[in-house]
Amino acid sequence: MPSLVAAAFEAPYLDYAALAPEIVLTGVLLAVLVVDLFVDEDRKAVVAQLAGVGLLASLLPVVFLAVDGDDRSMFSGAYVVDDFALVFKALFLVSGYVVLLMSTDHIEEGDYWKGEYSFLLLSSLLGMVVMSSARDLLTIFVALELLSIPAYMLAGWRKRDLRSNEAALKYYLLGVLSSAVMLYGMSLVFGATGTTVLEDIARELGGDASEPLVALGIFFIVVGFAFKVSAVPFHFWAPDTYEGAPLPVTAFLSVASKAAGFVALLELIFMGFFGQDNVWQPLFWVLAVLTMTVGNLVALRQTNIVRLLAYSSVAQAGYMLVPFAVGGSSDEAAGTAQTAVIVYLLIYAAMNLGAFAIVMTVARRTRSGEISSYGGLFTYAPGLTVLMTIFVFSLAGIPPFGGWFAKFYIFKSAVDAGTGWALALAVVAGVNSVIALFYYAGVAREMWMQPVPGDDRTPIRVPPALGAALGITAVAVMAIGVYPQAFARLGDLAQLAVR
Amino acid sequence: MSLDGSWYLCLAAAVFTIGAVGLLVRRNVLVMFMCVELMLNAVNLTLVTFARMLDDIGGQALVFFVLVVAAAEVVVGLGIIVAIFRRRVGATADDLHLLRG
Amino acid sequence: MKALTTLIAMSGFLREYLTVLVFGAAAVAMVGAMLGAGSLLRPKRAQLQKYISYESGVDPVGTGWSQSQIRYYLFGLLFVMFEVETVFIFPWAVRLEDLGLFGLVEMVVFIAILALGLLYAWRKGVLRWM
Repeated sequence: MPSLVAAAFEAPYLDYAALAPEIVLTGVLLAVLVVDLFVDEDRKAVVAQLAGVGLLASLLPVVFLAVDGDDRSMFSGAYVVDDFALVFKALFLVSGYVVLLMSTDHIEEGDYWKGEYSFLLLSSLLGMVVMSSARDLLTIFVALELLSIPAYMLAGWRKRDLRSNEAALKYYLLGVLSSAVMLYGMSLVFGATGTTVLEDIARELGGDASEPLVALGIFFIVVGFAFKVSAVPFHFWAPDTYEGAPLPVTAFLSVASKAAGFVALLELIFMGFFGQDNVWQPLFWVLAVLTMTVGNLVALRQTNIVRLLAYSSVAQAGYMLVPFAVGGSSDEAAGTAQTAVIVYLLIYAAMNLGAFAIVMTVARRTRSGEISSYGGLFTYAPGLTVLMTIFVFSLAGIPPFGGWFAKFYIFKSAVDAGTGWALALAVVAGVNSVIALFYYAGVAREMWMQPVPGDDRTPIRVPPALGAALGITAVAVMAIGVYPQAFARLGDLAQLAVR
Repeated sequence: MSLDGSWYLCLAAAVFTIGAVGLLVRRNVLVMFMCVELMLNAVNLTLVTFARMLDDIGGQALVFFVLVVAAAEVVVGLGIIVAIFRRRVGATADDLHLLRG
Repeated sequence: MKALTTLIAMSGFLREYLTVLVFGAAAVAMVGAMLGAGSLLRPKRAQLQKYISYESGVDPVGTGWSQSQIRYYLFGLLFVMFEVETVFIFPWAVRLEDLGLFGLVEMVVFIAILALGLLYAWRKGVLRWM
């Protein structure tokens, strides 16, 4: 066996500047772990503050790298720092910071393991930051596990609450099932191409008619990620996990974890398997139609705001799957499709985190997740009501807010592709947007027009950390609504080179 | 006598299928765990076979990562199960019905 | 039937999905055949004795779900974790001389991070056998 006779070892080239965000984040999370062990119980807030400062610190090298603008590639193309990677690193770090702000009071008041909470959150974020640079099957797999495994534990954070246990177990079982399915797909693709680097896979596969082995491999990989982004029919864990997990964790899962799944899909589909569009396009078409329709129809029947947001996030994933189903016909279509997904992910993160921040703020007083508990919110918390209205209307895609712009890009990608299947998909997405309007408007109606339950009008106190989280997300949603071009430019810049 | 690599691939596919079906039909959480392990080991077998067939050590390196990550997954999963066991005896997935599926 | 054949022959991607379909069908058929053959072949003579779980020939005590002390689990989990990490150390040790200083530094970083895990377990009192 000649391959077992080793060639002389050469140390791989390491670009420490390009790795700076990961190195800083790793240093911070190890520091958080150690500091947590040695501070007293009553001074645990230090740990969360350290984590927050650390997140901002690892954002600095991302900014420097973006200003510098060079694409840096390591490990023969397996790890790349380009505009795509930087945009998503920034998204993950900022949304991680917002989640940390949202968690501060929630975890503080809950008598939970505060230090470990920050540690696990940072670990999961590290996985996401690595995922944005991964251009290799093995790196994608390791990044995915690094971001998922802490998330399983976070979902079960309220250890003495059976519902939280149940949320963790469901999330865990379906998570490992999806990893195993995805890995099997990866092993088949490796067998067919003899490499794990996406660029080389693309070169090996080319645009040839696919072998059964490759088709099967791509199918399994896409199904594995369909679990991660909670696409129908692989979504059934999502509502239960979202309801049982602590609220900040739910926000984290529905935004950051889902975005990481889409980042991996973008990398795999548009870099690795682009020539094989006859395999993945129809698959995404079916997934997109099912996900939008089922998500929206079930969301119509929800009476609990968290479950409503859970199903709405399933439906939102459906919109984000649309560009995948139409992006394979040409390089141009792929470009438009990528821009659409990237823009949607950025805007979705802002509006969904914002909506969860409001739900947390209101739940602090009403101790309820029922939509009816939002009755007459305007009469005693007008500020929160206006913000929540902005967030839900943005999620619904009503013009002056950011979400409208994101939806516009989705439709644009479908219409630009121009095929019959793409146009049919655009029609389905349009019908779904109208259905979605009903339940989003239902929340707004409850807040503005219904009577206050129990006539309890004590005003809601907004803790400073939650207020900051609300401020960041609200400003982001408004800014995108007012200056959409800036974000479209970001989406154009961040496209992956299709080959 | 040496076997053609495709037999190993067929075995791996069979093991993977048994694991996947087991995970979907069995209700005991610990058995479901074992099924996950079956699936992951089928992946490992596939990778090693391909590494041998392609004469590429990269496939075996992948197996190491899968092994370690699988161990981490199992530890976290057992941790979650222990947390549930402490609250009640027996562990079947059907007991978990507080949340509407 | 003829229409179906032409459809499959004409369309490229449908043919690829046939692979998926065949794979799925084979999987279902295999499991069905195994379980079905088992239930057809085995004689069914139900006796209460047969439903008692086997415990080395002794009458079983309690249910199959007896619980052990929690500390066994903690040690077991710790063991699984640290034992598997050695999979990276063995190949490294074999080629240590070739890998040189770079390899040494990398492994020190790796083990240092693992040691932090042990430090955590120690501070949380997991290592004490109470």
